[in-house]
Amino acid sequence: MTLVRQYLRSLLNARKLLLSTFLLCFALMIYTPFLIIVFRSIGRGWFGRLWLPPEYTLDWYQWAIEVTDIVGITKNTLIIAALAVIMATLIGIPTGWAFGRRRIPGKELLMSMILLPRMIPPIAYALGVAQIFYRLQLIDTHFGVALAHVAVCAPYAILVLSATFEGLDERVLEAASVCGAGTLRSFFHVVLPLIFPGILSSMIFTFTTSYNEFTLTLMTYGKDTTTLPVRTYLAIGEGYWEVTSAMSILLIIPSLLVLFLIQRQVAPEKLVGGFKGV
Amino acid sequence: MRRGSTRRTVLVTLLMLLPGLAGFFGLFFYPMMVTVVRSLRPEREQVGWTLEHYIRFFAEPRARDVIVLTFVLSIGATLLSVLFSILLCLVLRRKPRGNRFYRLTMLIPRVVPGLIGALGLLLLFGSRGWVNLFLLKFVPFVNEPVTINYTIPGLIIFYFWLYFPFTAVTTLSTLEALDPAIEEAAGVAGANRWQTLRYVVIPLIMPGILAGSVLTFMAAFGAFSIPLIAGGNYRPLSVEIYRQINFTPARWSAASARAMIMALLQVAFLTIYMRILRRPTA
Repeated sequence: MTLVRQYLRSLLNARKLLLSTFLLCFALMIYTPFLIIVFRSIGRGWFGRLWLPPEYTLDWYQWAIEVTDIVGITKNTLIIAALAVIMATLIGIPTGWAFGRRRIPGKELLMSMILLPRMIPPIAYALGVAQIFYRLQLIDTHFGVALAHVAVCAPYAILVLSATFEGLDERVLEAASVCGAGTLRSFFHVVLPLIFPGILSSMIFTFTTSYNEFTLTLMTYGKDTTTLPVRTYLAIGEGYWEVTSAMSILLIIPSLLVLFLIQRQVAPEKLVGGFKGV
Repeated sequence: MRRGSTRRTVLVTLLMLLPGLAGFFGLFFYPMMVTVVRSLRPEREQVGWTLEHYIRFFAEPRARDVIVLTFVLSIGATLLSVLFSILLCLVLRRKPRGNRFYRLTMLIPRVVPGLIGALGLLLLFGSRGWVNLFLLKFVPFVNEPVTINYTIPGLIIFYFWLYFPFTAVTTLSTLEALDPAIEEAAGVAGANRWQTLRYVVIPLIMPGILAGSVLTFMAAFGAFSIPLIAGGNYRPLSVEIYRQINFTPARWSAASARAMIMALLQVAFLTIYMRILRRPTA
């Protein structure tokens, strides 16, 4: 009897072990690529069959900063992302409000139309955007690159904000007006605090989207508007893996910060799904 | 009075919708139309209509390879994502220790720029990367580094790594919405664990899995940065498009024609997929 029990218990333990091994492998699968970038960026003379670099150095970071003008490129990236966030939010607030609070005939259809840019491969309309921007001389301007980003950022903003406005309870507004709040007062003291988290999360979504955007940037950038993803791509092409790794580490920090900041506030799943159904 | 206010409401709604619509038409619809028109114009000319770019593309013997490659990569990655996501979500559903950590881990590939993910994977799977070191050391009969980078299976792994979160997240949320009472009922009715999984749980979460896999498929089909740096000689449609405008002089029309083919193929595939998805489960 005890033998059977022991056998069963060991079986259970084996199951548990299997599960933990599986989860460990999963974590390794996700994190090792970054780990190897980190080691590559601080290692020197890492050749042959070595598990870890024999020497450590910060030279590659110095290279990355000096040779590739990473400060200027970061500035470009941030300016463009900020412009894209502002434009996307300015588009998202009114349109999200209309979607969330008003009865619109064919709302579903209209919404899927607005989300279309997220479903068609970006390269397809990036071609058109590039041709239009060449004509309008918007290529290689911060505003132009940001405007191109808005094409993918705005759908996100509209989606998140329409959900926010939809969640706004009519009764709260009524209560405010019953309590004697005027339109302005109820806007600043009731509506704004309620929708602020939504606006914030929409801004964070659009920021990461723009910060990481590659395709549309590649089609509209110039030498004065190189962004970090494009620079990384160029560096990969140049073949200096160590310097590229150092640059990637610098590029990745803000994304991880954003992830860390928002995972408490917004359901992190939203970052990926973005929209329910298709 | 009443009618006046209704009209005002409609007007305000329209006005509020305007920025969104302007953005959609200005930054998506109009560029799309420019792409369509460009694909039908002779190269570097503003007048005249022609189908030569489409015909020329399909006449190339490589055209079929390119299209097949694009589908093989995206469908392969999607299948892999579905299998892996089901497994992962079934494990995560039991809330193992470090549950929150693994959930966050799941999102990493989507938050980090794809280029960097691809760079890390290239380093990891390279001939001197950790994967090959591991294989050489611990797996018997592996005496030479295995070539993974710049091969089709390698690309599928890369795509999978980058795009599986779409499937995993939707699967997990569907799985968690599932009422545990249903499984208990299956257990009471005498189904063992495997039968419960096979005949009760999987069919019930299938819609979620399919919806997630659509997202993975779309992302993989349109993937551009990954095959650009990690594809080597394998160029799916997106890279093929980019290559056309990198010629001097740029072949905008040829690129546009390929972009149209790509968009149409994706829409066609999605329509078929959705048909299957919407069909009442057999």
